[in-house]
Amino acid sequence: MNDDAELPERIRNGAPDDFAEVVRRHQSRVFAILHRYERDAHKVEDLAQETFVKAWRALEQFDGRAPFEHWLYRIAVRVALDHLRREKKRRNEIGLPELGEDALDWLRSDNEQNELDGRAAAEILDLALRELSPADRVVITMQEIEGCSVKEICAATGASGVAVRVRALRARAKLKRALEKLVKL
Amino acid sequence: MNERKWKQLFAAVRNEAAPAPSADFEAGVLRAIRGERRPETPEMFSISAQLNLLFPRLAWAAVAIIALSVTADWGLTAAGMPGLNDGVSQISAQWFLTSNGF
Repeated sequence: MNDDAELPERIRNGAPDDFAEVVRRHQSRVFAILHRYERDAHKVEDLAQETFVKAWRALEQFDGRAPFEHWLYRIAVRVALDHLRREKKRRNEIGLPELGEDALDWLRSDNEQNELDGRAAAEILDLALRELSPADRVVITMQEIEGCSVKEICAATGASGVAVRVRALRARAKLKRALEKLVKL
Repeated sequence: MNERKWKQLFAAVRNEAAPAPSADFEAGVLRAIRGERRPETPEMFSISAQLNLLFPRLAWAAVAIIALSVTADWGLTAAGMPGLNDGVSQISAQWFLTSNGF
Protein backbone atom coordinates (compact mmCIF):
# COMPACT_ATOMS: atom_id res chain seq x y z
CA MET A 1 0.00 0.00 0.00
CA ASN A 2 1.43 3.35 -1.02
CA ASP A 3 1.94 6.06 1.51
CA ASP A 4 -0.07 9.26 0.93
CA ALA A 5 3.09 11.30 0.47
CA GLU A 6 4.50 9.10 -2.27
CA LEU A 7 1.26 8.28 -4.06
CA PRO A 8 0.98 11.64 -5.89
CA GLU A 9 4.63 11.30 -6.90
CA ARG A 10 3.97 7.85 -8.38
CA ILE A 11 0.97 9.15 -10.32
CA ARG A 12 2.99 12.06 -11.67
CA ASN A 13 5.72 9.67 -12.75
CA GLY A 14 3.40 7.74 -14.98
CA ALA A 15 1.06 5.57 -12.94
CA PRO A 16 -2.27 7.34 -13.49
CA ASP A 17 -4.27 4.25 -12.46
CA ASP A 18 -2.94 4.75 -8.94
CA PHE A 19 -5.28 7.73 -8.76
CA ALA A 20 -8.01 5.17 -8.06
CA GLU A 21 -6.28 4.59 -4.74
CA VAL A 22 -6.51 8.32 -3.98
CA VAL A 23 -10.24 8.24 -4.73
CA ARG A 24 -10.77 5.15 -2.57
CA ARG A 25 -8.90 6.60 0.38
CA HIS A 26 -10.49 10.02 0.42
CA GLN A 27 -13.95 9.73 -1.11
CA SER A 28 -15.81 9.37 2.21
CA ARG A 29 -14.24 12.48 3.69
CA VAL A 30 -14.74 14.47 0.49
CA PHE A 31 -18.42 13.44 0.41
CA ALA A 32 -18.79 14.43 4.08
CA ILE A 33 -17.32 17.88 3.44
CA LEU A 34 -19.45 18.52 0.37
CA HIS A 35 -22.59 17.29 2.09
CA ARG A 36 -22.27 20.22 4.49
CA TYR A 37 -22.92 22.54 1.57
CA GLU A 38 -25.30 20.53 -0.60
CA ARG A 39 -28.05 18.19 0.59
CA ASP A 40 -28.91 16.57 -2.72
CA ALA A 41 -26.96 13.28 -2.88
CA HIS A 42 -26.66 13.35 -6.69
CA LYS A 43 -25.25 16.85 -6.63
CA VAL A 44 -22.85 15.87 -3.85
CA GLU A 45 -21.57 13.07 -6.08
CA ASP A 46 -21.12 15.47 -9.01
CA LEU A 47 -19.24 17.89 -6.77
CA ALA A 48 -17.07 15.08 -5.42
CA GLN A 49 -16.19 14.05 -8.97
CA GLU A 50 -15.36 17.68 -9.78
CA THR A 51 -13.10 17.77 -6.71
CA PHE A 52 -11.14 14.69 -7.74
CA VAL A 53 -10.83 15.81 -11.36
CA LYS A 54 -9.52 19.20 -10.20
CA ALA A 55 -7.07 17.45 -7.91
CA TRP A 56 -5.90 15.32 -10.84
CA ARG A 57 -5.38 18.40 -13.00
CA ALA A 58 -3.49 20.21 -10.23
CA LEU A 59 -1.42 17.27 -9.06
CA GLU A 60 1.77 18.89 -10.39
CA GLN A 61 1.22 21.73 -7.94
CA PHE A 62 1.15 19.47 -4.88
CA ASP A 63 4.54 20.07 -3.31
CA GLY A 64 4.24 17.70 -0.35
CA ARG A 65 4.82 20.40 2.27
CA ALA A 66 1.36 19.83 3.75
CA PRO A 67 -0.37 16.45 4.02
CA PHE A 68 -2.02 15.38 0.79
CA GLU A 69 -5.44 15.11 2.46
CA HIS A 70 -5.31 18.75 3.56
CA TRP A 71 -4.50 19.78 0.02
CA LEU A 72 -7.38 17.68 -1.34
CA TYR A 73 -9.87 18.95 1.25
CA ARG A 74 -8.90 22.50 0.38
CA ILE A 75 -9.90 21.76 -3.22
CA ALA A 76 -13.22 20.29 -1.96
CA VAL A 77 -13.96 23.47 0.01
CA ARG A 78 -13.23 25.61 -3.04
CA VAL A 79 -15.50 23.42 -5.18
CA ALA A 80 -18.22 23.85 -2.53
CA LEU A 81 -17.71 27.61 -2.49
CA ASP A 82 -18.05 27.83 -6.28
CA HIS A 83 -21.16 25.69 -6.07
CA LEU A 84 -22.71 27.95 -3.43
CA ARG A 85 -22.01 30.99 -5.57
CA ARG A 86 -23.77 29.38 -8.54
CA GLU A 87 -26.68 28.25 -6.36
CA LYS A 88 -27.03 31.63 -4.66
CA LYS A 89 -28.26 33.11 -7.89
CA ARG A 90 -30.78 30.33 -8.41
CA ARG A 91 -32.30 29.64 -5.01
CA ASN A 92 -35.52 31.08 -3.64
CA GLU A 93 -36.17 33.03 -0.50
CA ILE A 94 -36.66 31.17 2.76
CA GLY A 95 -40.05 29.47 2.86
CA LEU A 96 -41.72 27.33 5.45
CA PRO A 97 -43.06 24.72 3.00
CA GLU A 98 -39.48 23.51 2.60
CA LEU A 99 -39.30 22.56 6.28
CA GLY A 100 -40.64 19.26 7.57
CA GLU A 101 -42.94 18.89 10.58
CA ASP A 102 -40.12 17.82 12.92
CA ALA A 103 -38.09 20.86 12.04
CA LEU A 104 -41.04 23.21 12.49
CA ASP A 105 -41.95 21.66 15.85
CA TRP A 106 -38.43 22.02 17.14
CA LEU A 107 -38.12 25.61 15.96
CA ARG A 108 -41.35 26.65 17.69
CA SER A 109 -40.84 24.66 20.83
CA ASP A 110 -39.28 25.96 24.04
CA ASN A 111 -39.20 22.51 25.54
CA GLU A 112 -35.61 21.54 26.32
CA GLN A 113 -36.48 17.86 26.02
CA ASN A 114 -37.59 18.25 22.41
CA GLU A 115 -35.14 16.15 20.39
CA LEU A 116 -33.87 17.18 16.99
CA ASP A 117 -32.64 14.62 14.48
CA GLY A 118 -29.86 15.25 12.03
CA ARG A 119 -32.11 15.44 9.01
CA ALA A 120 -34.42 18.08 10.52
CA ALA A 121 -31.44 20.05 11.83
CA ALA A 122 -29.85 20.03 8.39
CA GLU A 123 -33.12 21.24 6.82
CA ILE A 124 -33.29 24.17 9.24
CA LEU A 125 -29.66 25.07 8.90
CA ASP A 126 -29.72 24.77 5.12
CA LEU A 127 -32.59 27.24 4.90
CA ALA A 128 -31.07 29.68 7.38
CA LEU A 129 -27.66 29.52 5.74
CA ARG A 130 -29.16 30.68 2.46
CA GLU A 131 -29.33 34.13 4.04
CA LEU A 132 -25.55 34.19 4.23
CA SER A 133 -23.07 34.87 1.47
CA PRO A 134 -21.22 31.78 0.17
CA ALA A 135 -17.99 32.89 1.88
CA ASP A 136 -19.77 33.44 5.22
CA ARG A 137 -21.41 30.05 4.86
CA VAL A 138 -18.08 28.30 4.30
CA VAL A 139 -16.55 29.94 7.37
CA ILE A 140 -19.47 29.16 9.69
CA THR A 141 -19.76 25.60 8.39
CA MET A 142 -16.06 24.91 8.84
CA GLN A 143 -16.00 26.47 12.30
CA GLU A 144 -19.28 25.28 13.83
CA ILE A 145 -19.87 21.96 12.08
CA GLU A 146 -16.44 20.71 11.00
CA GLY A 147 -14.82 22.11 14.13
CA CYS A 148 -11.94 23.61 12.17
CA SER A 149 -9.55 26.10 13.74
CA VAL A 150 -9.06 29.60 12.32
CA LYS A 151 -5.71 28.44 10.95
CA GLU A 152 -7.35 25.57 9.10
CA ILE A 153 -10.01 27.87 7.66
CA CYS A 154 -7.27 30.26 6.52
CA ALA A 155 -5.47 27.40 4.80
CA ALA A 156 -8.62 26.22 3.04
CA THR A 157 -9.92 29.60 1.94
CA GLY A 158 -6.73 31.57 1.45
CA ALA A 159 -8.04 34.36 3.72
CA SER A 160 -6.04 35.98 6.53
CA GLY A 161 -6.62 35.13 10.20
CA VAL A 162 -8.16 38.53 10.90
CA ALA A 163 -10.47 38.24 7.90
CA VAL A 164 -11.63 34.79 9.00
CA ARG A 165 -12.28 35.94 12.59
CA VAL A 166 -14.24 38.99 11.46
CA ARG A 167 -16.19 36.97 8.93
CA ALA A 168 -16.97 34.27 11.49
CA LEU A 169 -18.36 36.83 13.95
CA ARG A 170 -20.45 38.49 11.28
CA ALA A 171 -21.66 35.17 9.87
CA ARG A 172 -22.68 33.94 13.31
CA ALA A 173 -24.73 37.09 13.92
CA LYS A 174 -26.37 36.82 10.49
CA LEU A 175 -27.18 33.16 11.03
CA LYS A 176 -28.76 33.88 14.40
CA ARG A 177 -30.94 36.52 12.76
CA ALA A 178 -31.91 34.11 9.98
CA LEU A 179 -32.82 31.41 12.51
CA GLU A 180 -34.92 33.87 14.52
CA LYS A 181 -36.65 34.84 11.30
CA LEU A 182 -37.51 31.17 10.77
CA VAL A 183 -38.91 30.86 14.28
CA LYS A 184 -41.24 33.81 13.63
CA LEU A 185 -42.52 32.52 10.28
CA MET B 1 -32.51 31.60 19.30
CA ASN B 2 -30.79 30.88 22.58
CA GLU B 3 -27.36 29.32 23.00
CA ARG B 4 -28.78 25.94 24.04
CA LYS B 5 -30.83 25.61 20.87
CA TRP B 6 -27.90 26.84 18.81
CA LYS B 7 -25.69 24.11 20.24
CA GLN B 8 -28.41 21.48 19.86
CA LEU B 9 -28.88 22.44 16.23
CA PHE B 10 -25.21 22.13 15.34
CA ALA B 11 -24.76 18.95 17.34
CA ALA B 12 -27.64 17.35 15.43
CA VAL B 13 -26.23 18.49 12.07
CA ARG B 14 -22.83 17.04 12.95
CA ASN B 15 -24.46 13.67 13.50
CA GLU B 16 -26.16 13.58 10.13
CA ALA B 17 -24.54 10.95 7.92
CA ALA B 18 -23.23 12.01 4.53
CA PRO B 19 -24.39 10.11 1.45
CA ALA B 20 -22.14 7.21 0.49
CA PRO B 21 -20.44 7.23 -2.90
CA SER B 22 -22.27 5.15 -5.48
CA ALA B 23 -20.72 1.84 -6.56
CA ASP B 24 -19.38 3.27 -9.81
CA PHE B 25 -18.15 6.57 -8.39
CA GLU B 26 -14.49 5.59 -8.54
CA ALA B 27 -14.88 4.31 -12.10
CA GLY B 28 -16.64 7.54 -13.06
CA VAL B 29 -13.75 9.65 -11.74
CA LEU B 30 -11.22 7.49 -13.59
CA ARG B 31 -13.24 7.77 -16.82
CA ALA B 32 -13.31 11.55 -16.40
CA ILE B 33 -9.57 11.85 -15.84
CA ARG B 34 -8.71 9.47 -18.68
CA GLY B 35 -10.68 11.75 -20.96
CA GLU B 36 -8.23 14.55 -20.42
CA ARG B 37 -4.50 14.92 -20.22
CA ARG B 38 -3.22 16.54 -17.08
CA PRO B 39 -1.70 19.87 -18.09
CA GLU B 40 2.03 20.07 -17.62
CA THR B 41 3.23 22.76 -15.27
CA PRO B 42 4.56 25.56 -17.45
CA GLU B 43 8.33 25.63 -17.17
CA MET B 44 9.76 28.80 -15.77
CA PHE B 45 12.54 30.14 -17.99
CA SER B 46 15.15 32.40 -16.54
CA ILE B 47 16.37 35.36 -18.59
CA SER B 48 19.61 33.53 -19.38
CA ALA B 49 17.66 30.46 -20.48
CA GLN B 50 15.52 32.59 -22.77
CA LEU B 51 18.64 34.28 -24.18
CA ASN B 52 20.15 30.85 -24.75
CA LEU B 53 17.06 29.88 -26.66
CA LEU B 54 17.22 33.08 -28.71
CA PHE B 55 20.98 33.03 -29.13
CA PRO B 56 21.23 31.10 -32.41
CA ARG B 57 18.91 33.59 -34.07
CA LEU B 58 20.72 36.58 -32.56
CA ALA B 59 24.09 35.14 -33.53
CA TRP B 60 23.05 34.53 -37.10
CA ALA B 61 21.53 38.01 -37.34
CA ALA B 62 24.77 39.56 -36.05
CA VAL B 63 26.91 37.51 -38.48
CA ALA B 64 24.66 38.55 -41.39
CA ILE B 65 24.92 42.26 -40.49
CA ILE B 66 28.74 42.08 -40.15
CA ALA B 67 29.06 40.22 -43.47
CA LEU B 68 26.83 42.75 -45.21
CA SER B 69 28.83 45.67 -43.83
CA VAL B 70 32.22 44.18 -44.80
CA THR B 71 30.94 43.35 -48.29
CA ALA B 72 29.56 46.86 -48.75
CA ASP B 73 32.85 48.41 -47.57
CA TRP B 74 34.88 46.18 -49.84
CA GLY B 75 32.58 46.94 -52.80
CA LEU B 76 32.69 50.71 -52.24
CA THR B 77 36.48 50.70 -51.86
CA ALA B 78 36.88 48.69 -55.05
CA ALA B 79 34.63 51.16 -56.87
CA GLY B 80 36.90 54.05 -55.84
CA MET B 81 34.40 55.56 -53.47
CA PRO B 82 35.33 56.40 -49.89
CA GLY B 83 35.06 53.29 -47.73
CA LEU B 84 33.93 53.04 -44.14
CA ASN B 85 37.47 53.65 -42.83
CA ASP B 86 37.71 56.90 -44.74
CA GLY B 87 34.33 58.00 -43.47
CA VAL B 88 35.25 57.25 -39.88
CA SER B 89 38.60 59.12 -40.20
CA GLN B 90 36.82 62.11 -41.64
CA ILE B 91 34.26 62.22 -38.87
CA SER B 92 36.97 61.86 -36.24
CA ALA B 93 38.95 64.69 -37.75
CA GLN B 94 35.92 66.96 -37.95
CA TRP B 95 34.30 66.37 -34.63
CA PHE B 96 36.63 64.77 -32.15
CA LEU B 97 40.03 66.26 -32.82
CA THR B 98 40.94 69.91 -32.41
CA SER B 99 42.69 71.89 -35.13
CA ASN B 100 46.15 71.37 -33.61
CA GLY B 101 45.76 67.64 -33.69
CA PHE B 102 44.70 67.02 -30.09
